[in-house]
Amino acid sequence: MSNTITQNNTNCSIENSYSQRAKRWKLIIAGLIITLIITIIVSLNIGYTFISYSDILTYLGTRIPGINSFIDVTTFSREQLANQAIILNIRLPRILSALIIGAALSASGTLFQGVFKNPMADPYVLGVSAGASVGAGVAILWGAGLTFFGFPIVPLAAFLSALVTIFFVYKISQVGVRVPEMSLLLTGIAVSIFLAAIFQAMQFMTTDHKLNLLVNWQIGSITNIGWLNWWSVLPFILVGIVLSYFYARDLNMIALGEDTAQHLGVNTARTKKILLILGSLMTAAAVSISGLIGFVGLMIPHITRLLVGPDHRLLIPASILLGSIYLIVCDNLARAAGGATEIPVGIITALAGGPFLVFLLRRSRQKYRM
Amino acid sequence: MVTLNMNGVDCHYGSIKILSNVSLEVKSGCFLGILGPNGSGKTTLLKSISRVLKPHGGSILINKEDIYTLKPRQVAQIMAVVPQHNDVGFNFSAMDVVLMGRNPHLGNFQMENAKDVEIAQNVMKLTNTWCLADRPINELSGGEAQRVIIARALAQQPKILLLDEPMSHLDIINQIELMDLIKNLCTKNGLAVLAVIHDLNMASRYCDMLLLLKDGTVSALGPVEEVMTTENIQNVFGVNSIIRKNPLTNSPYVIPLSPKKPSEEKNYSIHIICGAGTGTLLLKYFHDEGYNVSAGVLNNADSDFETCELLKILSISDPPFSAITNKAYEANLTMIKNANMVILTAVPFGLGNVKNIEAAIDAAKCGISTYVIDETPIEERDFTSGQAAVSLMRQLKEHGAIFVKDLTELLLALKK
Repeated sequence: MSNTITQNNTNCSIENSYSQRAKRWKLIIAGLIITLIITIIVSLNIGYTFISYSDILTYLGTRIPGINSFIDVTTFSREQLANQAIILNIRLPRILSALIIGAALSASGTLFQGVFKNPMADPYVLGVSAGASVGAGVAILWGAGLTFFGFPIVPLAAFLSALVTIFFVYKISQVGVRVPEMSLLLTGIAVSIFLAAIFQAMQFMTTDHKLNLLVNWQIGSITNIGWLNWWSVLPFILVGIVLSYFYARDLNMIALGEDTAQHLGVNTARTKKILLILGSLMTAAAVSISGLIGFVGLMIPHITRLLVGPDHRLLIPASILLGSIYLIVCDNLARAAGGATEIPVGIITALAGGPFLVFLLRRSRQKYRM
Repeated sequence: MVTLNMNGVDCHYGSIKILSNVSLEVKSGCFLGILGPNGSGKTTLLKSISRVLKPHGGSILINKEDIYTLKPRQVAQIMAVVPQHNDVGFNFSAMDVVLMGRNPHLGNFQMENAKDVEIAQNVMKLTNTWCLADRPINELSGGEAQRVIIARALAQQPKILLLDEPMSHLDIINQIELMDLIKNLCTKNGLAVLAVIHDLNMASRYCDMLLLLKDGTVSALGPVEEVMTTENIQNVFGVNSIIRKNPLTNSPYVIPLSPKKPSEEKNYSIHIICGAGTGTLLLKYFHDEGYNVSAGVLNNADSDFETCELLKILSISDPPFSAITNKAYEANLTMIKNANMVILTAVPFGLGNVKNIEAAIDAAKCGISTYVIDETPIEERDFTSGQAAVSLMRQLKEHGAIFVKDLTELLLALKK
């Protein structure tokens, strides 16, 4: 008897917790957004030249419509003008690049893991990375410095070759009208290995300073991303993020199995296709400007799932925000750790993330089963 | 009201034909059981109805509309499916999974509201899963998970429910409760149910209609009593069976028989005096072993009599509830005299059949080896009011009949 009473009590709280789920989720997202903003402002403070927080906020204000009318730029001293340039043209684009790249990689990692129901899936699983590498490699070796209608050629070549690679992987794995997951994964691996070998051959045959560029590309770094590159990839990433949230509930259903998702009213085949395209597009856009930053897309979705649970309606926005925060912090470390020569951020993401994921997995071993 | 029609549906995987020309109609309130041996196309049939596997020919209609012209969401508002295998990719709680049943009723960015939570709670209480609500689905036992999946299907508030072997992971009490629940939804709420069921007797007990599939074609379709016949079961499953009435529900009750071994005909006659089902096992055993079996005196509504008819065993019988007539008694004696061995089973004796013991005594007197199966002591099954059977049994022992406990002991005694 006492047993039934306690049971009723606990389940009554389940009922309440479910009807207040939307509120709780909004709080989590709001908390993450605030953390992201604080991270950005703190990161703007980090660097060789000391610039105070009040100055940072003032410089930022000069670019915000409505606020900038209250700030009189003409009164800025020569030093202030220089500091304004450091904040707005050096530190801010770099931080905002880390933001969108972290967001894109974690979003597409979440999508791929959801579609494949496989914890090993990451944004590079379909060959985006290897495809982009070959394009970037060709551009670095034979077209360095060229531009195409004002666009630097390396990101452009990386982006296009990534998309071509994905298209071929998809076409090769297609069986009739279906695209079986296993076939897609295996084709992705095969194509990746093949293209990676080509990229390695390029590295092997290069002896001059370009070798350094190739190696840097492969590790991934966000040192030299200017506003032009930033603006040109932003639309792809924004569209990808917004549309993928549109399919968040469908991804929950797909976790129950493809047929079950169909039974619950999801157009499974179409949804899968769209999500794979969105994930690939976001990844291709991100790596085209940063090179191959590893581990973020694999690890951030896992960590977020451990923290907020498997519901994609919360998981997608939460891992996007967490991925942004994570990459900004890693980039700060990359700047700080190396002194004069910076360490590529791709090294930091893996160095810091690996142990942390192991720690989380061990701590919640009972709870976490895929 | 909802009507589901299949018209001449063909399905194949590659060049292998799985379903050919399947037609059926199921309306609200009808519980259709789909039966057939492994590989007969039952699951494929459900897949084609649930819009997973598009048929290569024919059409499937819900309320006269082709399901492949409807959107998946529209179909999901009408039809729910409980599949055979359920593996959940991530660690959703049972409540999460049941709430996913509300998906077809939600708008694009709409969250489940208090009403959806209430619906989920109700169906979880119906399926005895409310106490599992916050448990991760991957940590539940097979039966618990199965019930959660059924709750999810019910949370869709469907008008048609498809079930693929819903009882496969459940223990007997949960089987009965589940089937009672579905039957109830069927009769009270007008749910149309199509269920693939392996257990013939569960199917016959709960279904209104049965569909027998054999090699992808409809072998029989109709009310349970018409479909559940020895001939149909032999034809579809290739197994011989005895059909009785379930005493509780009056539905046909199937007792499948082990396939008969092609044993050599033995030139040895066994006469079995039995009744009230006490002889079924013996009749079947010695018949299958190739002995020349006969039985008597039975009454011709007795289940042992039905067994004899089914196995084409020669027997002497009288009308039900009448005392053994002299004519039958004499005929029985003639059979006994021709037998090499006589077995008297542990049948209850009343004034009507007590003469059967006298027949056994006669056999023992004539020196025919006589065995008595004494599972229940004669004192407990003597209903002759004057202890007539008890004294007759004593006489039988005096004349040299061998008493054994059951069939196993009988076979041991025979070996010696």
